[in-house]
Amino acid sequence: MTAAAGIIAHNTVVVALGVAAVGFAAGVVGSLCVLRKRALAGDAAAHATLVGVACAFLATGRRDLATLLAGALVAACAGLGMLVLVRRFTRTRDDAATALVIGVSFGLGITLVSGLPAWGYANSAGLEQFLLGHTAALTARDAWLLAAVATVAVAAVAAILKEATLVAFDAAFAAATGWPVSGIDYAIVGLVALMVVAGLPAVGAVLVTALVVIPPVAARFWTDRVGTMVVLSGLIGLAAAAVGVAVSAARPGLATGPLVVIAAAAAFAVSFLCAPHRGWIARRAEAARGLTVRRGDSDGEASR
Amino acid sequence: MTSSTLGGDPAFALAGIHAWAMATAAVIAASCALVGTLLVVRRMSLIGDAISHAVLPGIAVAVLAGGRPGGPLVFLGAVAAAMLTVWLTQGLRAAGGLAEDAGAGVVFTTLFAIGVVLVGLAPPGTHLDAACVLYGELAFLPFDTISIAGQPVPRAFVAGATVLAGLVAAAVATWKLQVFTAFDPAGARMAGIPVAGVTTGLLAATAVATVASFDAVGAVLVVAMLVAPAAAAELLTRRLHRMVVVAMALGAVAACVGYLAAWRLHTSAAGMIAVVLGLEYAAAAVLAPDDGLVARLIGRVRLAWRVAREDRLATVWRAEESGNRAAARPHTPHEAMVVRWLEFTGHLLRDGSSWRLSPAGRREAENVVRSHRLWEAWLGRHADLPLDHLHPPAEWVEHHLGAEMRERLEADMDERAADPHGREIPPEA
Repeated sequence: MTAAAGIIAHNTVVVALGVAAVGFAAGVVGSLCVLRKRALAGDAAAHATLVGVACAFLATGRRDLATLLAGALVAACAGLGMLVLVRRFTRTRDDAATALVIGVSFGLGITLVSGLPAWGYANSAGLEQFLLGHTAALTARDAWLLAAVATVAVAAVAAILKEATLVAFDAAFAAATGWPVSGIDYAIVGLVALMVVAGLPAVGAVLVTALVVIPPVAARFWTDRVGTMVVLSGLIGLAAAAVGVAVSAARPGLATGPLVVIAAAAAFAVSFLCAPHRGWIARRAEAARGLTVRRGDSDGEASR
Repeated sequence: MTSSTLGGDPAFALAGIHAWAMATAAVIAASCALVGTLLVVRRMSLIGDAISHAVLPGIAVAVLAGGRPGGPLVFLGAVAAAMLTVWLTQGLRAAGGLAEDAGAGVVFTTLFAIGVVLVGLAPPGTHLDAACVLYGELAFLPFDTISIAGQPVPRAFVAGATVLAGLVAAAVATWKLQVFTAFDPAGARMAGIPVAGVTTGLLAATAVATVASFDAVGAVLVVAMLVAPAAAAELLTRRLHRMVVVAMALGAVAACVGYLAAWRLHTSAAGMIAVVLGLEYAAAAVLAPDDGLVARLIGRVRLAWRVAREDRLATVWRAEESGNRAAARPHTPHEAMVVRWLEFTGHLLRDGSSWRLSPAGRREAENVVRSHRLWEAWLGRHADLPLDHLHPPAEWVEHHLGAEMRERLEADMDERAADPHGREIPPEA
C-alpha cells in the first residue's frame, strides 16, 4: 500500500518535472516569438493539433504519447501550411486567415474526437484530455519524452539566439547584411509549433498558446536584456507549469491547463504591477515625480 | 414528456426535433455571420476570437449567480466580460506598452482559463460543464421548450431568433455609420461620427452573438461561425451589403448541412458545422467568379494567349513593313502553335514558306503596333527617357490600350504619324 503510494507520488513528481521542463522551454521559445511580434503565431498550430492526435490514433490504433504527439506535430505544421496557402493564394487578410484556420481545424478535430467512439474505436477515450490538458494520465516515460523535447527546443534557441534577436529588433538590417530572415522566422515558428505540441498534454489545445505568450510578456517587464528576458521567461513558464500540475494533483476534478494559465497570469499581474522601471506602480511613481518637478519649475517661473 | 409536446408520432417528433435543432443552428450562424462580416472587413477577426473565448467567465459567473443559460443575466455577464477583455487589452497597451496581439493573448487565455475553472466549480445540474464549453449541446437544445401561442418552441431558438432580429435591426439602423467607420475611420472621425462608440457597439454585438451560440456550439468554435462565412463571402462579392447577405446565407446553410452530416456520422454537430464552413470557404477560394483560383488561372491563361496572338500579328506586320518577309516566320514551337491558330482563325495567310496578314489580321495588328508606337512617342515626349528605354514599357502596354486611350494619346501629340524611332504610326484600323 505504502509502496504503491510511493510509486504514485514518484510518478507525480517525475511528471511535474517533465511538464516544468516544457514550461521552461515554452517560455524560452515564446520570448523569441513575442520579440518578433508574432505572439499569436502558435494559436493556429495549437488548434490544429487535435486533428493530428485523432488521425495518429486512427492510423496506428495506439494511444501512447509519442505517437499522438508526432501526429499533433504533423497537424500543427499542416495548419501553419494552410495559413501560408490562404495568404498566398487568396485575398483573405492575415487576421481572418488565422481565425479561419483556428476555427475550422479545431472543428475538424472535435468532429474526429467526438466521432471515434461511435465509429467503433471504443478505446479512444482519453483523447479529449488534449483539449484542456490533464497531467494525471501521464506516466514517467511520457515525462521523459516531454523533457527531451524541451531540451532540444532550448538547445535550438541557444543556437539561434543571436540571429533571432537581430531579426526581431531590426529585420531590415538583418536582411541587408545577408541573414536569411525568412529562414530564421520559419525556425522560430517551427519551434513554437514544437512547444505547442509539447505543451498539449499538460495545457491542452485551447489554452496552450498562453504558455508561449504570457511568460515572455511578463518577463519583459523586468529587464531590457534579451538573455535575461529569455531565462526569466523560462523560469516563469517553469513555475507556472509546476504550480498548475501541483494544484491539479491536489484537486483531481480540475483540468491542468487552466490552472497553469492562471498561475502564469498571476506572474504576469505581479510583473505588470511591481516590476522596477517598467511596472505600473514604478511608472506611476515616476510620472508623479516628473509632475512634481515640472510643477516646481512652473511655480519657480511664476514666482520669478 | 418532450416528445409528446412536440408531436404524438415518434418519427414525426424526431423530424421535428431535427428541424428545430437545424433552425436554431441556422439563426445562430446567421447572427454570427452578420457580426463577423463587419469584424472581417475591419480586420478585427482575432478580436472576435478573443471575445468568443473571454465571454466564458462572464457566462459562468452569471450562471453561478442564478441566471439560466440563454437568459438576460447571462447575456449581461457575457457583454461585461467582452468589454472587460477590450478594456484590459487596451489598458495593457496604454499602461504597459504591450503590442495588441500579445496583450490579447494574455487577456483572453487568462479569462478563458478562469472561466473553465469556474465552470468546474459550478454545481451539477446547472447546464454548464466542460463539454458544453467546448462542443455545445445542439442536439439537446430542442428539448428545453417554452410555450408560444400554445405551441412548444425550443428556448434556444427563441433566444437565437430574438438575437438575430435585434442584430439585423441594429445593423440596418447603423448601416451607414458601420460602413463609414469600417472603410474610412479617419474620415468618419472628421465627420463627427463617434467611431469608438460604433466599435464598442460592434464588440458588444460580437459578445451577444457569441452568447447566443454558446449553448449550441460552445465557446471555441464560434470563431469559425464568425469568420469563415464572412471570409468566403468576401471572395464572392465586393459590395458590403451583398457580402453580409451572402455570409448569413452561407452560415445558415452550413449550420443545416453540418447538423445533418453530424447526425449521419454520429459526431459533434458543432465540429461538423465548422468543417462545413471550412469547405464552403475552400469552395469559394477555388471557384469564386472573380477571385477564385480557377477564375484567376483562366484569366491569366487567356491574357497570356492574347498577348502571344497580338505579338505574333505585330511581328508579321513589322516584317511586311520592313519588307523582310522571312522575319514573319515563327522560331519556337510555341510561336508555331500561335501561328497555326491564327491561320485557323483566318488572321494569317500562308505565303510560300512564310505568312502574310489577312485583312482582319491587319486591322488587329495595326492597332497593336499603333498602341506600341503611340506609347513610345508619348513616353519620349513626357517621361524624358533615353531612346533605348522606350521599347520595353511599350511592349507591355500595347496589349492594354483601348481605342479611346489611343485617341487621347494621339490628341496629346502635336506632330503625328511618327514614333521616336522615326517609324510611321499606323492610323486607327
